[in-house]
Amino acid sequence: MKPWRVHAALAACLPLLLLLSLSLGSTHIASSHVWSSLVSSGDAGLNAADAATRAIVVDLRLPRVLLAVLVGATLAMAGALLQTATRNDLADPFLFGLSSGAAAGAVAVISFTGERFGVWTLPLAALAGGLVAAAGVLLLEQRSPGQGAERIVLAGLAMSFLFGALTHVLVFAGDQRAAHSVLFWSLGGLGVARWDNLPLALAGALALGAFVAVKHRSLDALLAGDEVAHSLGVAPQRLRRQVLVVTALATACCVALAGVIGFVGLMVPHLMRRTAGLLHAALVPACALLGALLLLGSDLVARVAMAPQELPVGIVTASIGAAFVIGLLWQRGPDVA
Amino acid sequence: MTRRWLGLGWLLAGLWLAGSAAAFPVTVDNCSTPLRIDAAPQRAVIHDLNMTEMALALGLQAQMTGVTGITGWHKADAGFKARLGAIPELASKYPTLEVLLAARADLFFAGWYYGMKPGGDVTPATLARHGIPTLVLTESCVHAGAQRPRATMELLYGDMLRLGAVFGQRARAEVLVAQWRQRLQALGPRPAASAAPLRVFVYDSGEDKPFTAGAAAMPTALIEAAGGRNITDDMPTSWAHTSWEAVAARDPEFLILLDYQDGTGPSRLMATLQAHPAMRQTRAVKDQRFIALRYAELTPGPANIEAVEKLARAFRALGR
Repeated sequence: MKPWRVHAALAACLPLLLLLSLSLGSTHIASSHVWSSLVSSGDAGLNAADAATRAIVVDLRLPRVLLAVLVGATLAMAGALLQTATRNDLADPFLFGLSSGAAAGAVAVISFTGERFGVWTLPLAALAGGLVAAAGVLLLEQRSPGQGAERIVLAGLAMSFLFGALTHVLVFAGDQRAAHSVLFWSLGGLGVARWDNLPLALAGALALGAFVAVKHRSLDALLAGDEVAHSLGVAPQRLRRQVLVVTALATACCVALAGVIGFVGLMVPHLMRRTAGLLHAALVPACALLGALLLLGSDLVARVAMAPQELPVGIVTASIGAAFVIGLLWQRGPDVA
Repeated sequence: MTRRWLGLGWLLAGLWLAGSAAAFPVTVDNCSTPLRIDAAPQRAVIHDLNMTEMALALGLQAQMTGVTGITGWHKADAGFKARLGAIPELASKYPTLEVLLAARADLFFAGWYYGMKPGGDVTPATLARHGIPTLVLTESCVHAGAQRPRATMELLYGDMLRLGAVFGQRARAEVLVAQWRQRLQALGPRPAASAAPLRVFVYDSGEDKPFTAGAAAMPTALIEAAGGRNITDDMPTSWAHTSWEAVAARDPEFLILLDYQDGTGPSRLMATLQAHPAMRQTRAVKDQRFIALRYAELTPGPANIEAVEKLARAFRALGR
């Protein structure tokens, strides 16, 4: 199949999957009710049952599918950028210890204050924790400029261990039942999606999109190696640092709302390079599309597989990812990585 | 005796009439914040076995539209199922926000880590956005703030009275609580009042380190009401891990083993204790002094009263 056809097919799947995600969930709602909820303009004149249906479709499912699209796209784009910047195929958005930083922030709040400051308490604590961890990585990277992209990976690993240890100390010192909440931050979930917190995810996605729109040629130059990039008028170190800052910010926005959702940022760029090529102007939008599709589909599975209970979505993305890679390796197809 | 019961019957009937005319709105304390209820709930959803039993004790079935979090963890006995009647279980573990909205709940009775977790999709704040008030189990308030008060029987009494007030059945709740207080008073003082209270260890689970009840957890209150003392009541939390060393050093004289009602009963827990090099030296394990209590007996709920009576009987049998 020609690359453009693959992308067109993927793009066509998106609205279908969106509609399916709105119609299915932990409770059964007839699709006619879903439609009427979406097109009706307000609560006025609805009976209690219809108002409840409308709240589920419009205030729970709709923001949730939009969050899935935004987070999936952001993680996939961040993964593509980081794999370029670090020249490491295993780089993913949680490289900077962002996940363990966010978990540490969240667990600190869970252990000491609970939700005393309202619904934004946990997202903001997670955001702050994630950013502190990312800042630590950037600081370490700054201390050793010009020593190659591998340094970033090592610094990220160090931060992951540091904040992982901190999280476990907090869990141990606090109430043991808080340990169950840590699970959310390590496996992710989209259940907290609301209209008022969607802008945070949107900001992350837009920041990455804008960065790529401006810098895609410089990023392409980076692929050819630092010397070539330099001769093309690109400062590799500076660009690398910019990529780190913008992806850290965007990923932290995602983690604050949805926890850590693995695989999307790692695998999607590898898959899309096969059809979209290496150049960022085509690759990054293609990644955003597949990332959105993948997370939307995974969340749908997470919601219906054990309804009315919800699986953490990270379990689904990890399973799909593992199955996919095993399948590819089994076929010994053209190189996966 | 008959006359006494008859009198109580009249009292109940009178109070019920007074209760049904109770004036709404009512305001009750909810983890140190006021919760205002404008009318008695007609479609309440109640989480977990212990809180459902509180509601059933008040006869609130007609005002309940569903329960959650029962079969995911517990085997409810036939008596419970019979009293629950046709009220469906909406989710076997924690409910999602969608489930509660679909049930058109007008009140959610749950607690932190009893159906809700901080930062989750179902919390008092997220439910309030959809106009659903949340009555929070007082024992669980330790997770919502820095205060970690010691557990007492007032946790149960207070929650029953709040539940009664919210459902317009305050008088019925007061009668029940008065009966419970009487039952515990009837246990009388400890026989050996001068001796130190019996040292009791609550064993929930854990092989490498035990999971047990701290100062803010209900078992501390139950043990004290029966005249004993929880040896881990110096932990300022509700449920937590401690170490075998710390437990063995305090030489527990009596054990409360959690009966998960999974068929094995307390025998598996007892086997772990007997195999442990330090624990098997303790008085309680050597003499096999233990009692098995169910989840509903160890979490705030009507079954607490019977649990205290069982404990008191066991303590008195040891002359304490």
